[in-house]
Formats: sequence, structure tokens, C-alpha cells
Amino acid sequence: MEKALEQCLTALLAREGLEPKEGDLEQFSKIIELYMSTLKTLHSVNLGAEELGPVFKPEWTGK
Amino acid sequence: MPADKPLYYLSIHEAQQLIQSRQLSPVELTRSVLERIAAVDGKLHAYINLMADSAMEEARVAEAEIVGGNWRGPMHGIPVAVKDQLDVEGAAARIRQFTKGVGDATAVRRLREAGAIMLGKLHMSSLPDADLPVPRNPWNTEHITGGSSTGSGAAVAGGLCLGSLGEDTAGSIRNPSAFCGLAGLKATYGRVSRYGLAPLSWSLDHCGPMARVVEDTAHMLQAIAGHDPQDPTSSTAPVADYASALREDVKGMVVGVPRDYINECAPRTESIVLKLMDKAIDELKSLGARVEEVKVRTLHLATISNAVIYYNEFWAAHKSDAAWVLKNGAAQRRARIYLGILTNSADYIQAQRVRSRVRAEFAEVFRKVDCLALPCQTGPAPLLKDMGPIDTLFKHVVPEYHGPFNLVGLPTLSVPCGFSENNLPIALQLVGKPFDELTILRAGYTYQQHMRWFERKPPI
Repeated sequence: MEKALEQCLTALLAREGLEPKEGDLEQFSKIIELYMSTLKTLHSVNLGAEELGPVFKPEWTGK
Repeated sequence: MPADKPLYYLSIHEAQQLIQSRQLSPVELTRSVLERIAAVDGKLHAYINLMADSAMEEARVAEAEIVGGNWRGPMHGIPVAVKDQLDVEGAAARIRQFTKGVGDATAVRRLREAGAIMLGKLHMSSLPDADLPVPRNPWNTEHITGGSSTGSGAAVAGGLCLGSLGEDTAGSIRNPSAFCGLAGLKATYGRVSRYGLAPLSWSLDHCGPMARVVEDTAHMLQAIAGHDPQDPTSSTAPVADYASALREDVKGMVVGVPRDYINECAPRTESIVLKLMDKAIDELKSLGARVEEVKVRTLHLATISNAVIYYNEFWAAHKSDAAWVLKNGAAQRRARIYLGILTNSADYIQAQRVRSRVRAEFAEVFRKVDCLALPCQTGPAPLLKDMGPIDTLFKHVVPEYHGPFNLVGLPTLSVPCGFSENNLPIALQLVGKPFDELTILRAGYTYQQHMRWFERKPPI
């Protein structure tokens, strides 16, 4: 895992009084890196001025 | 009574007709299922809490009520079991660990009120009890059942209960249903109460039925659906008569196929899945449905949006037990916490904005079609020995077939559509408009009755 990403994760955990289990950062490096790269894809879409919608509204009928 | 079928393999639909007409006693049926559990659960590992004594007592009560002329409906006297994530009186969800259960979850309470017999609680992925054996697939015990409703998949397919309640945040009803050859229904978000369901992600979690045939999911949904003031996202929309969907008729139904999206997932999908999906769509066409290709432009971002919301809400929901989980918990739970804590507010809000966009695009598509059809898995159930502890998480962050429908809360049904060369089940997924479970039940039932894949039974 990239050093900066590892430091970021460790700092965020420390802020919550937590620390990673020994070996986890190495074991989970692939999924963490894949996740972080797909987050970039998520932000790549141009949503213009569209606002945050509410969580799914059950009464929505799709019509 | 079907002469060639053991009682434990009766569908709910068959059993309820026999029970109502007093040709079958709930006691006899429950005893048969308990004997089946004793015979094969040592190989399948579905149950983590078997409630045999109370189940027999409930069966005796049900029998007395029915003999006394008080038949409550199709679930009366039917032995069922639930994924451990649902609280049951005296048996809270184990993933709660440091919080109390609520007694019976609303869905469990409603099943009981409908007269169902509670056999016990079933294994799920990432339980705190690391020493519990992993459930095995009844079609081939070297293979997994799919998760996270692992025990539900094994138990229903293996004849260890007639139906089960599962839970689905990113495919956890549909995936084990597909891998185990079952019908699995994730109803519209808000249709089934989440009260008493230990949360993975509040806005994505769905509770729903897993059974051997489509009509059984309709009977179970009828029992558990409806407004619940104890769930703030529970809908007040009227509950349909789901049994009315159980007729063979798709004439004129417009089935949309999101071909672009399927093509995007194709590199990660085995060819047998795509082949059987196309065959199933052709069958629907031959039965009178009209098939149209549709495009949902932002669907490629729906899976990652679902994952972002899932992990961030998971982190929030499990913050109080995170120290324990990071020290002692299963790998998947630890990984979800790392991913959740790495997700910042801008990521979460962007995922919610994408959620709105995708929902609007689906609304547009559903002006032209009645339901969608697409695969329900990327391949047959993998071998247990090939599965790493967090392999499932890789599926959650790249375009796939489940997460998008948790994101937008649409109802989806998994229906068996054939078998791989090594005799493992493959399923078709049908997706409906919000609160239109009737259409997907009707399409699934029509297809099922035409193809009759449910007549095959696992070799266990």
C-alpha cells in the first residue's frame, strides 16, 4: 500500500482510538487500493448542479 | 400428497394445501424436517441455533388450531428458519455483540402471527464466532452457498426448512438463492420492516424470503409485508395480494434488458451465465413477452456508490464495537471498517447524488418497460477452497448485478434458469418498479412453471 494511504488510514483509526490488527494493512492492501481508485471514478462523473437526493422514498412510483 | 417427494422437500405452496385440507399435520411435517436436519446438517452446517423442542411445541399448537377450524393462512404450520441477523426472542443477532436485541424482529413476529413454526437461526457470513464451520452447498458440498445469507441458502436447498428469511445489502438474498437453486425475493425498500434486523447499512438493508419456488416467496412476503411504525423507513403503501401474481401469463409484458451494462460486467461473468440468461429471455419472449434493450446511463457507478454507502454506514453502525472487531472479528468485518473509515463525507454525498441520478434514470426506463431481466451472478458457486476471506468485497466495488438494486431500492427476484456443466444452479434476475412485486412474481412464476428447474433436487 502507498505510504501516504497507509499513514492516512492509521491516523484516521488513531483519531477514533483504534489501531489496525497486525498484518491487516498488508493483507487488505489490494482491496483498499482498488476501493480508493474506484472512489476517484465515482467523483469523475459530472452531476452538474444536481443535489443530494433523499434516501429512497418509498412513495416514489417512477411515473 | 406428492408420492415421490419426502415431506421436507414439499414447497410451502404444496404443504399449505395439504395442511389446510388436513391431509398433512404440522407435527408430521416439522418432525420430518427435524429428522432431515439431524441427518444432513452435519454436512451442510446451516443451523447455528436449532430450536427443536419449541418448534415441536409450536407445531402441536398449530395442529390443534387447524383441527379446531382456525386455519390462519398459507404459512400456518410451515416450518421456517431465519438468518441470524434477525432477532428472535431469546436469540438476538450475534453480530450485535454489545447491543441488546429487540425480542422478535417484526418480520419474525409476523411470520409467527401467520402461524409459521420457528425452527431456529441460520449461519451468516462474518459472525463473531470464528470457529463455526462454513455452510456447504447442497448441490456439491465442496462449493460455497454464497453469502451473506449462507445458512439460509444451505437450509432451504437441502430440505432443512421450507423457507427462510434472509437479508440483502449487496446481494445477500439473491446470491445464495442463485448459487443454491432457490427463488429469492428482495422486495422494495420499505416494504418489509427492518425492525429487529441488526444493521449492516441502514439505507441498503432489505429483509426478504428465500424459498424453493416463486409461489413460496409470495406467501412469505404476504405474511411479512406492511407498514411498521418501529421502522422509520417503512412504507405506508398498500400491500398487494401477492398470490394474485401466481398465474402463467406474460403476454404483452415488456421486459427490458440493460445490454450495455451486462456487456460491461461480461469480462467478469462466466459464459454459461450469459448463455442461460439469453435462453431465459428467449423463453419469456416465446411465452408472449416483448423484449427491449434499455440503457441506464449511470448504472456503471451504481455498484461503487452502493459500496461507499454500505461501508460508511457500516462504520457508523459498528463504531462502538470497532475495537473488538479489529482485534477479534472476521476479516470481512475488519476490512469493512477500514474501508468505511477511509470514506469521507464528500465520497458519501457523491454516492448519494449518484443514487438520485440512477434512480431517476431507472424511473425513465420504467416508463417503457414492465420489468428488467439480467444475470443474478457472475458464475456458478465457487469452490470453498478457492475463496479468500475478503473475496466478496472485490465484487462490491466493480460493476456487478446486485448492489445497484440495493442502491435504488427496487424489488428484484432471483429465479433458477439452468445448471452449469458440473450441475451447479444458475439464476436469472428480474427487477421491477417500486412496490410492483406483482410483475416480477408473475414473470418469475410463468418462467418457472414453463421450465420447471425446481423439479431437480440436490444430491445431498
